[in-house]
This record gives sequence, C-alpha cells and structure tokens, in this order.
Amino acid sequence: MGWLPWSSGGDSNKASDGGRIAPDRTSRARCWEGRDAFFACMDRNDILDGIKDDKAARQKCAKEIAEFEAACSSTWVKYFKEKRVMEYNRDKTIERIKKEDAEKVKELKSQGWKSS
Amino acid sequence: MSSSLRLASGILSGATRNLFAIESAPSHRILPALRTTSRSLCRSYTQAQRPRCTQSIPNGFSVRNNFSTTAFRARAKTMGQLRQRNSTGPFSWKAALLFVLTGAGMMIYFRVEKARLERKRIAEMSKGVGRPKVGGPFVLKDLDGKEFTEEDLKGKYSFVYFGFTHCPDICPDELDKMAEIIEKVKESTKDDKVFLPVFITCDPVRDTPEVLREYLKEFHPGIVGLTGTYEQVKNVCRQYRVYFSTPKDVKPGEDYLVDHSIYFYLMDPDNDFVECIGRQDTPESASKVIVEHINDWKREGRPLKTE
Repeated sequence: MGWLPWSSGGDSNKASDGGRIAPDRTSRARCWEGRDAFFACMDRNDILDGIKDDKAARQKCAKEIAEFEAACSSTWVKYFKEKRVMEYNRDKTIERIKKEDAEKVKELKSQGWKSS
Repeated sequence: MSSSLRLASGILSGATRNLFAIESAPSHRILPALRTTSRSLCRSYTQAQRPRCTQSIPNGFSVRNNFSTTAFRARAKTMGQLRQRNSTGPFSWKAALLFVLTGAGMMIYFRVEKARLERKRIAEMSKGVGRPKVGGPFVLKDLDGKEFTEEDLKGKYSFVYFGFTHCPDICPDELDKMAEIIEKVKESTKDDKVFLPVFITCDPVRDTPEVLREYLKEFHPGIVGLTGTYEQVKNVCRQYRVYFSTPKDVKPGEDYLVDHSIYFYLMDPDNDFVECIGRQDTPESASKVIVEHINDWKREGRPLKTE
C-alpha cells in the first residue's frame, strides 16, 4: 500500500531520487472537501472530538469518514481532527475571556470607574 | 480699474517685475525721503535696513507689499482702491488659496516623511548593535542541485518562507498568498528583478529538489525552492530563528507532520532582516509594505542587483 491511500502504491508517489511527492492542489482540495463534509456531519450529530469519540463518529457519519479518510493521508486526518478540537477550545476561551472582561467592566463602572 | 481680479492678477506679475527691476538696476538708490513721492515705488528691506527704489510700473499698479496693510494704505491713491482695500483687508482669494495649498502641501510632506522615517527605523533596527539577528550564513542547494548560499540573496529584496510540502492547510494558503504578493510587487515596481521569493523546506528528507519543483510550480514559477541535508536545514532555521520539529531519523515510508513557524521574512539587499509578514497580513497589506521598503531603498540610491 502506498503511503497515501488514493495512490495505488508502487512508484507513482515517489520522485526519481527517492523523495515522496506531496499531495498536489487537486488532492488537497479533495481532502479539504472530505474534511468539511465530515465535520459538517459531526456538527449535526454534536460530536466534537473525532479521536476520542471515534466510535460514535464512525457510526453516525460512516459515509463521510470513509470519504475523508480516502481523500487524505492518515496524518492529515489526525491533524484536522486535533485542529478541530483545538480551534473549538480556542474559540471557547476567547469567548470566556471576553465575557469576563465585559463583566469586570460592568462591575467597575457600577463603582464609578470611567473607561476612557 | 480697481476690480479684485485686476488686483489679484497684478500681485504676481507685479512682484516678478519688481524683482527683475531690483536686479537689473541695483544702482537706482534714492534717499528715503523720496519714498513718499507719488511716481516712485519704494520698498524697505528689513534684512539690509536700507531703502531701495525701483521704477514705477507703467500701468500705475501699485500693489507691492501685499502682506502689509499699512505700507499699502500709504500708497493707495484713489478712493476706489481704498475702499477695495478696506473691504478685503490684506487677504485676497489668491493669498487664501496660497495659504491653504502651502498648508496642505506641508501636511502631506510631513506625513510621507514620517511614514518613511518610521519604515527606516524598522529597517535600521535589525542593523543595530545588540539586536537579535535574523538571517545569516547558510549553505543549501537549489532545485537544479546547485549550491545556494546567503550571498545569492544579496542585492535583492528577498522574501523567505519556511515550510514543507506535506503541510496540510497553512502552508498552501500562505504560498497562495506569496504568489499574489509576488504579482502585486512585480506590478507596482515594474521590475521582477528586485524581489526574490524563497521557499526553504524544513523537511529535507521528503522534499527533494524534484518534489519541491513540482510543488512550487503549482503556486508560482518565480519561487526559488531550497533544500539541503538535515544539518544544513537545521542551521538555516537557526539563523532565521525558525522553530521546526522535523524528526531526525524517520523510517522510509513513515508519514509525519512538521511543526514550524509560519512567518515570511523580508530581507533587504544587504541581507539584513527588515520585517515579518504573518498570517494576519493580506496580500494587499504585505505587498504595500514590501513596495514601500523597495522604493525607500531606491530613493536612497543604494545598489540593487539587476540581473
């Protein structure tokens, strides 16, 4: 088996000097499409972590995950799943900080503090 | 003949004629007492503190010192001229226009200068003593297998990016941005020789020249791809203070990702670091910054390689 699932193995993914050829623009686009479809399905089913909740994700989004994994290399699949969780946590944190900030400002203002 | 138009148009022509008269006839000096005579027009020069007189202008037009009311009033002859003077004061629309234009001109000039000095400060910052130095000597090879060192970057503004071809999503985005920046810079400098975009791989095991060539071709044919041995790449990353996490000994066929810093480094023709372009920059903002630096460099008349 080739290192990329969509390649049929053999020499097609190797450069003549032994380097492995990276996905080109079309395969990247295909991979990203597969990712977006899979994540959309996870959103619909309220699953965040595709690694921790692998079983649930595979059940609910069987078709999408199969396409996703066929279009991307396994490292990319793992990377995108991790990134999804990371970005979710990041957005949550930013939201929390903003909320805390707003509350702090409100509290200080009620004590007669001026923001300017 | 005392319309305001006549007054205004006379100011400039009168002034030039007056200057001419002073220069061509420096010997026409008369006593201060003569200044009050009606046919002679005199001017006092504060620098020299001595009165000079010039021939009167044939049309009798007497506006000379148009910024001084008192001197003018003494010379106004008719009631019409006096009335005219009273209604407008020392200010004509021409004077107002001159004032506004000068003001606006100065403001624009100061803004441009301020922006230029600010850029210069940023550019000079990396040349100063005791600054962390970004960039330095390295030896890599280009896509034809030829040796490529920091000397090859000199004489041009180089734009250095570190990445790897198996990068999932950020590098392709950034390289698309790089391609747009290259086109924009080429367009505004009308010169594709001053700007040298460089891609250095952090993953030399997989990114051989052949792999890189295929990869970069998809973004922009002008990008110079560089690779080398693991040690050489590690060295260049250290010089540019790039963090990367390529595993040193990977088994053939093993798949892995590389963590790395994702900045573009703009280097001047002396190969000194100028600025960082990051994820937050758009192709527009980035190319604007780059073109401004290139233009500053040209304006200062400093050397650029044109081959």
